[in-house]
This record gives sequence, C-alpha cells and structure tokens, in this order.
Amino acid sequence: MIQNLVYSKMQHQNLVLSILGLGMVMLAVFSLSIGAFSIPFSNAISILLQQLGIVSGSYTVQETNVLLQIRFPRVLLAMLVGGGLGISGAALQGLFRNPLVEPGLIGVSSGGALFAVVFIVFGASFPWITGLFGSFSLPLFAFVGGLINVLLVYKMANYGGKTDISLLILAGVALTALSSALIGLAIFYADEAAIRNFTFWSLGDVGGANWNKVKIAFLLILAPSCWIMLQYRNLNALALGENEAFHMGVNVQKVKYIVLFMSALVVGVGVSMTGTIGFVGLIVPHLIRLSFGADHRLVLSGAFLLGACLLTGADLLARTLVMPAEMPIGIITAIIGSPFFIWLIINVKKIRT
Amino acid sequence: MLEAKNIHFCINNKPIVDQVSIHLKPGEMTVLLGPNGAGKSTLFRLLSGELLCKQGMVRYNGISISGLKPKELAHLRAVMPQHSTMTFPFQAIEVVMLGLVLSKKKYPSNTVEEVMKATHTWELKNQLYGNLSGGEKQRVQLARVLCQIWDIKSFPRYLLLDEPTSSMDIAQQHHILEIIGQLKHRNIGILAILHDLNLAANYADNAVLLKNGTVIKQGPIRKVMTAENLQRNFDYPIHVETDGPAAPIYVSSLPPNKKSSYTTNFKFA
Repeated sequence: MIQNLVYSKMQHQNLVLSILGLGMVMLAVFSLSIGAFSIPFSNAISILLQQLGIVSGSYTVQETNVLLQIRFPRVLLAMLVGGGLGISGAALQGLFRNPLVEPGLIGVSSGGALFAVVFIVFGASFPWITGLFGSFSLPLFAFVGGLINVLLVYKMANYGGKTDISLLILAGVALTALSSALIGLAIFYADEAAIRNFTFWSLGDVGGANWNKVKIAFLLILAPSCWIMLQYRNLNALALGENEAFHMGVNVQKVKYIVLFMSALVVGVGVSMTGTIGFVGLIVPHLIRLSFGADHRLVLSGAFLLGACLLTGADLLARTLVMPAEMPIGIITAIIGSPFFIWLIINVKKIRT
Repeated sequence: MLEAKNIHFCINNKPIVDQVSIHLKPGEMTVLLGPNGAGKSTLFRLLSGELLCKQGMVRYNGISISGLKPKELAHLRAVMPQHSTMTFPFQAIEVVMLGLVLSKKKYPSNTVEEVMKATHTWELKNQLYGNLSGGEKQRVQLARVLCQIWDIKSFPRYLLLDEPTSSMDIAQQHHILEIIGQLKHRNIGILAILHDLNLAANYADNAVLLKNGTVIKQGPIRKVMTAENLQRNFDYPIHVETDGPAAPIYVSSLPPNKKSSYTTNFKFA
C-alpha cells in the first residue's frame, strides 16, 4: 500500500520533470529560429544536427553563423542563468523557511553585481587576480559579493534557530540599496570603456553571451545546482524547523553552508554574465509548489527547469517585442514578477500553512 | 541508559538548569513535572542534544553526547518538541515520512503505514498538514517521531516527548499514551513532559520533580507523586488518592476559594 503510494508519487514527479524538460528543449529550439534575423525551424534543426555530424537539409552560411555564434550561446546562457536563479530561489526559500525569499530581494544579486562592477572598474589595478583565475576572475568575484550579502542577511535575520521575516526583508532591502548606491558610485568613477552601462547591472541583459561565458556557466552554475538538488531530503526535513531537522539526524550547519555557498555561487556567476535579473527565483519555486506540491525532490529540479524556460521565454520576448532593438530582460521578468509578488504578499498567510 | 550528570545551563548568568542528575532506563517511562519556568524544556533540550551544557555531561548508552554526530544521535533517540510549524504545503503523509529521512531506502518499509494507523492518522494522509486541527497536527508529528524509532533494534533507544498530548481530547490522550507505553517493550526508554498529573501518575513508572532548575524529588511514581511533594513542587493544594499499590491514582485540585470535603494537611506557605 505505502509502496504503491510512494511509487505513484515518484512516477508523478518524474512525469512532471520530463514534461518541464521537454518544454525547455522545445522552447529553446523555438527561440533559436526566431529573432531579428529569422532562421526557418527546419534549418535551425539541420544546423544543430550538422554539429553532431548528421548532415541533412540546406541552410546558408549566414544562418549558421547567426545561430552558432550569437543565438545558441545566448539561449544556453539564458537557460543556465534562469535555471540557476530558479533553483537558488527554491533552496533559499527552503533554508529560510520563508516563501518571500528571493536572491534579488535578500541582496545576493546586488552583492554579486557590486563585486562584478568593482572588479571591472578596479580589476586592472590588480593584474595578479586575473593572472591567477583567468576568465574565472569576474564570476568568482561576483560570487564573493553575493556570499558576503547572503551571510550578512542570514546573520541579521536569524536568532535561536528562527528566521525573522521582517528583519530578513529589511536587511535585504538595506543591503540592496547600499550595493546599488556603490555600483552607481563605481560607475560614476569608471571610464566608458571599463563598463558598458548601468542598465545592464540593474535590469539585466543576456545579449553579451558567447561560448566562453557558456563554458564557465556550465561549470559554475550547473555543477553547484546539482549539488543543491542532492540536498532535497535535508531541505524537506528543514521545512519542519532547524531543531526538528537536527532531531531527525540532519547536520543542519552543513546543509546551511552548502545551500548558502552554492546559491551565492550560482547567482553570483549568473549576475556577472547577465546583470541582475529579478523575480525569477521568486515566482518559479512558487509555481512548482502550488501546482505539484512542496516535496523538494520535485521543487528543486523543477525550479531549475522552469527557471530555464522562464528566462528563455523572457529573452525571446525581450529581443522580439521591439525588433530590431532589444529590451532589458529584467523589464520583462519584473512586469511578470511584481504583480505576482504583490499577490504573494496578500496571500502569504494562506501559503504559510 | 541515558544519563545526565550534574548538568548546568545558564542564560545571562541565571541558572536555568542547576546541577541536575537524572537517568533514563530503557523499558521505563519517566515523566518530568514542574511549574512553568522550572527549566523542564531547557533540560529536555539539553538531553536531546539541541543545547550543549557547559558543565556536566549527557551520555547515551555510555557515549558522551558531544561525541555523537547528528546522524548517530538520531539512531539512538527520537524527539518530539512542543510546537512544530510547517512552512510549505506538505501532505500529512509527507510529514510522517520525514521521520525516515535518515534511511536512504528508495521506498519506505511498512513502518509509515503501521505508525499512521496506530496513531489514527492514516485517514488524514492526503490532507495538507496546515489544514489539520491542533490535535491532528500533534498526532501527525508524533507519527513522524515514532517512525524514527519504530523498527526494532538490538541496542537501547530513547524517546523524548515535550507535552505530546497537550492539544488532544481525552480519548486521544489515553490512546496515544497507551501506544507510547507499548514502546517500552521495544527496549526504548521514554521521557515525557506532561502537565496532566493524572496521565502522568497512571502511565509513567518514574517521576522527576523539577523546580527552579533543580530536581527536588525523583524516583518511582508512587513514591514521588505524593500530595506533599506535589504541593511543594507547584505551591498549590493538590490531593492524591489511591486505594493501594496497584490501584489507579487520582490527582485533583480545586479553585483556591473552594473547600475540599477531603481532609488535607496542606498549609499555605
């Protein structure tokens, strides 16, 4: 009886994950063919297959170049960053036991952005950093910034094993405001060549994607995300409270540090490549929980897949709505996300049950 | 055996638990009684490993608690705290299965079903935990805790309960304490904080009376739960009646301005 129950639940979860995964792949292929330069669907698939050594159909050199050099890395980057934001949102909500937590709200993203800007502006004065870490310097710097903020927020909002929601949000607001001000200051002192623009860091943009960034993102977003996914049992236990999780044999401190460090890494690396993109980490875990239940086995992996879908979709809108110009992607996610956040605040009592 | 030796715990230099020594034998049930603020919950948390004492030591089967990892400790004891809240929409059965979070088995054994049927929570299994009533939540939490130590093991284990039946109706209280009592046959020692003195007197084997952080009396239930000891512990007139060493114990108290028809030797201090 119980075996059947658990078995059917897992079957259901696997089905949901498969559908989300399939949706993500279809959206990606769709996204590859649409844009300022339109590539027919069949040609897009032919070009991808050709990369795998399967020759079929006909396409132009121009189509190949646009697809492989511009659009494909862009879609992959959007998927990785969106997935990373989704899963870190889900994991942080689980850790703080609070549905209002989001990497953007508690200052992780802004901390990452601040350190990224600082590195871009002042990094040239410290050539040994670049000498040591190469092209990983910027993402790693952003990770440190995100980590500092998440640890500060955690320390400020936490006492006696409980997280105070108002303190958490206030600390997040304060740190975000401070980080934004410092970003503004750094940009004020920077020359035009050192930094692109303020919009990038406050509203995000996936347009700067290239294969080098995608490689780093695969390593520093996908791998930590997988590590977070493995924590699903522990996060389930933590949903009851830190003490209860300890009683059941969970090493709470260890889980806390894994989730905080890995989330900061995932978000920091994402921010260093695409700027701060808000609300993905907030909406995505909720949509999964509301539709399919709160078991973190599903919520974590599902949040990654749905986050990837959401950001790919948002990027598609960002570059097609005002063609041939592009909109910052953060505008799209904020337009979807802000009303959702307001709805969440109004209904927070129902969700907290 | 679970033993605490001379344990001491201060908050802001004020001793909450002061030089307490108690021991819990497998196969016996001990109740921890005392007025509000006596230090019951702090002592409970020291025993469960949630708090570490600065002086004295807590030992599980001879091993010091500071040398046990959370996982090892979870195999030796299960804990039910007073209040547990659930942030996310988990179903009752998912909450109960959390008790097995340590076992890496893909499918849980029949433990979950057995425990949920025993605690009358099986019919609630698909409901959201947040929508349950207080008593139902408590039964679900207890089921979760029992799952952790339900399977029979060769070594002695312990069950720590902080007011496990406080939100339940009288029938459920008896039913649940009966189940808890049966765990004694599984080589499990039980420690419960109870506020209902009648339940304590009739289910437990031993009692510990705690006041201002110190133990004022401990031992077999019939020796400890006398009118005199309880009155001293709670600073209130309490009557204890029994018709013999095997007969049930009745504990009662009256509003301060009502005279009892029983004779009592209690004098207000």
